[in-house]
Amino acid sequence: MTGIEAISAHNGWSIAIVGISIVFSGLVLLSLTISQLHKALDIWERRGAYWERFRRRGPETTETAPERECIYLPPNVKESARQCRLLVEHLGQPFPLPKLLEFSDRCGLDHPHSTINELLLARVIIPDGEGFYLWNDNVEFTS
Amino acid sequence: MPTDISTLESLEIFEELSSDDLAEISALLHAVRVGEGEVLTRRGDTAHTFYIVLSGNYMIYFKGGKAFTLHNRGDMIGVATILTPFRYRGTTVALTDGEALAMAGDKFLELIQSNASLGDKLLQKLTEVIHQRSSYLEEATEANAH
Repeated sequence: MTGIEAISAHNGWSIAIVGISIVFSGLVLLSLTISQLHKALDIWERRGAYWERFRRRGPETTETAPERECIYLPPNVKESARQCRLLVEHLGQPFPLPKLLEFSDRCGLDHPHSTINELLLARVIIPDGEGFYLWNDNVEFTS
Repeated sequence: MPTDISTLESLEIFEELSSDDLAEISALLHAVRVGEGEVLTRRGDTAHTFYIVLSGNYMIYFKGGKAFTLHNRGDMIGVATILTPFRYRGTTVALTDGEALAMAGDKFLELIQSNASLGDKLLQKLTEVIHQRSSYLEEATEANAH
């Protein structure tokens, strides 16, 4: 017995369907994991703020942290803001705005000029009054 | 093509001017579209054009990294067109797409010098801007001299 007949006789079709299902389920699971990875990374990067929030809820805590401002940013700008924050960490504070623009451009940030403008208008980047700029850590992004 | 007088009337720099003055100025101004990332003025270059912002957002930066941004209609770019040695002190880059009114620097200077009353009114407004930016302009002048 060979060919199709042999496949049918030894549950070949069922085995093939199970195999395909396993592979596709794995791929779907993998793609879902990758698509949500940025949220997990976001939480990891903000672990300090989350921990602080958790502590503030505790009954023994009396100190009041500065009021955090919630700012709406479109998802693409939010992601760029995260990248800009890393660049600002590299530049140090206060930082020269043209340098941030130059670095953002070099790092391949999408529309660096308009992104930085969005951050300026949202007061995520604020002037220090001396011609340099500061990153406003008292803001939280929503999208 | 001359600029619409109603556009000029809505700008703070021209708010105290007569309709004759506005007509004279409108013949010298023309609207220019500006793209994101476009450079309008470059530090050290001859100040050939004076701009008035109609829309868009701009950053002016100087040697040493100091900068300020412009976000409002009526903001001015290129005041060096009326200041000796007639060279731009800073570099202006558009942060977003926008529109501005442009006037040739020599025509602007000629206008101010030839019409005393008009020149006086415009200089009052320009002096405010120069005063606001004085710390940047002074440092930039010193930096250019070295």
